[in-house]
Amino acid sequence: MHPVFQPRSAYAPRAGYCLLPLRLGHLDGNTYIVTNDVGEYVRLERDELVAFVERRLAKDTNAYRTLKSRHFLYEDDSSVAFDLLALKYRSRVDRIAEFTGLHIFVVTLRCDHSCQYCQVSRQSEDVTQYDMTEAHADKALDLVFRSPSERIKIEFQGGEPLLNFPLVCRIVERAQELNQRHRRDLQFVITSNLSRLSDDVLSFCHEHGVYLSTSLDGPADLHDSQRPTRGGGSYQKTIDGIHRAREVLGPDRVSALMTTTPRSLHRVHEIIDEYVRLGFHGIFLRSLSPYGFATRSLVKRYGVEDWLDFYKRGLSHILRINAGGYLLREDYTTILLQKIFSPLGSAYVDLQSPAGIGIGALVYNYDGAVYASDEGRMLAEMGDQTFRLGHVDQEDYEALMTSEALLSSLSDTMLEGSPMCADCPFLPYCGADPVFHRATQGDAVGHKAFSSFCAKQMGVLRHLIGLLETDAEARDILLRWV
Amino acid sequence: MKTTRADTGAPFAFRDGRIAFTVDLRAYRLAAVQKAAYRMAAKCTAVIGQIDDHSLDVTLAFPPATGEQAALEVARVFFQELLDQELREKVGEETVSLRTLILAHAFSRARIPPRG
Repeated sequence: MHPVFQPRSAYAPRAGYCLLPLRLGHLDGNTYIVTNDVGEYVRLERDELVAFVERRLAKDTNAYRTLKSRHFLYEDDSSVAFDLLALKYRSRVDRIAEFTGLHIFVVTLRCDHSCQYCQVSRQSEDVTQYDMTEAHADKALDLVFRSPSERIKIEFQGGEPLLNFPLVCRIVERAQELNQRHRRDLQFVITSNLSRLSDDVLSFCHEHGVYLSTSLDGPADLHDSQRPTRGGGSYQKTIDGIHRAREVLGPDRVSALMTTTPRSLHRVHEIIDEYVRLGFHGIFLRSLSPYGFATRSLVKRYGVEDWLDFYKRGLSHILRINAGGYLLREDYTTILLQKIFSPLGSAYVDLQSPAGIGIGALVYNYDGAVYASDEGRMLAEMGDQTFRLGHVDQEDYEALMTSEALLSSLSDTMLEGSPMCADCPFLPYCGADPVFHRATQGDAVGHKAFSSFCAKQMGVLRHLIGLLETDAEARDILLRWV
Repeated sequence: MKTTRADTGAPFAFRDGRIAFTVDLRAYRLAAVQKAAYRMAAKCTAVIGQIDDHSLDVTLAFPPATGEQAALEVARVFFQELLDQELREKVGEETVSLRTLILAHAFSRARIPPRG
């Protein structure tokens, strides 16, 4: 039998096409973005968008081919797009079933620093009544292993956790003992200013595989002015701690975070260069959060636009550093890139829908109270107990995780059902933040037209999409961060 | 869409801190108008009035310090947003059942994780 080759016309696209679920929004000028539930996006000019929606987009155009390949339209003779969208969506939300992986122990409120932007009611070093008790720590650990998550991270916060180091040791050792039975992938992190980093602490961290996370706000004068400590020299203490930790634990076992204050706004290059000088390969250009009495006054001293300008200049500088051959990621940008390009999205607790409170992270406060998030605990220090789920002495795991405080906050704030968010093209790259909106608007859902969280997200994402689409060199660098 | 015209020939008239106009609901869905109003809330309060046949009265009320040029710009953006919302409604109507189908397909074989 001779093979029969069909004419070219047999392989041409069918006459019609149908839309697949999408969201659309304005980017800039005459340019729009369409996205779908699995994070694919396409930039279109408005006339292309209107033609596409009205089903008269010509099939021989680049726009048509791109929309088809990224699952924004389907033709009558194929259902492959449905299968692929379903598969990708399931992959993207699969982590929700993992449940709570981050467990924060506030082992003390005592601290030896007086940071200007402190988000907790820190106490002086000699007031031990603000330390977690062993009994509460043990009960909290029992709750930790009730989570079905295969990956458990226990994070120690304060105050300054190293001021209650004996309890940190007890929790680590007991967790590892319990883990002989539970067999989870277990990780420990101590968040510390490193001023109390003794040889004993380093030895323990080395023996038990404990990571360290610290704060570094930039050059010495900036860091010292924002993070004062008795006797001065907070910067030098932190730097010494970083070096000693690397010597004992290894270069990748200590990380640092910065916080943007009004003093930081015009010094972003210096801050970034400080991280490079110290050999870090990541920096998180983190804005102030609206928690804590001191922070409230600072937040009012700069607006979203100020921070966006800081971020854009910082990212530009970071891209130049990468172009020069030194790897330095901006961590928040990396999270967003993962949401855009990775089939699994990002595990970042603060950018999830449903929100990461409770089901992504739980906080066990020094007094035994359990909170849905660290920010929820901070809010409680300001008198708002909305996100307090219960107490380790009173509620079991089921009661905590099915409490109205948690479930209503999660369901009410899902982006897919929130005004403005439900239609927003950036939904796949964003997350619900009920604590932020409760703190700033008195309502967990929040009116997004007035939300600085929303304004920040939109500003960053518009900028990032713009770079990806218009700057080939920047795109190449950014994609290496995913 | 009908607009109140002023002697200046501008498409809208800014009077007493407000701009009033009517929207033809044969061209725009009511939901699109409502969503545009919600999205613009930080810049103006959109007072949605009576529906008369196919006409909907809308008044944009501005904060006290808003000047005429700023108000006119907000009105322009409002109508741009209204056009976008209309597109969204059109897309939503066409794809709502498909979204449900895709989600059902995604989780049709989902396994509920065991209790820890």
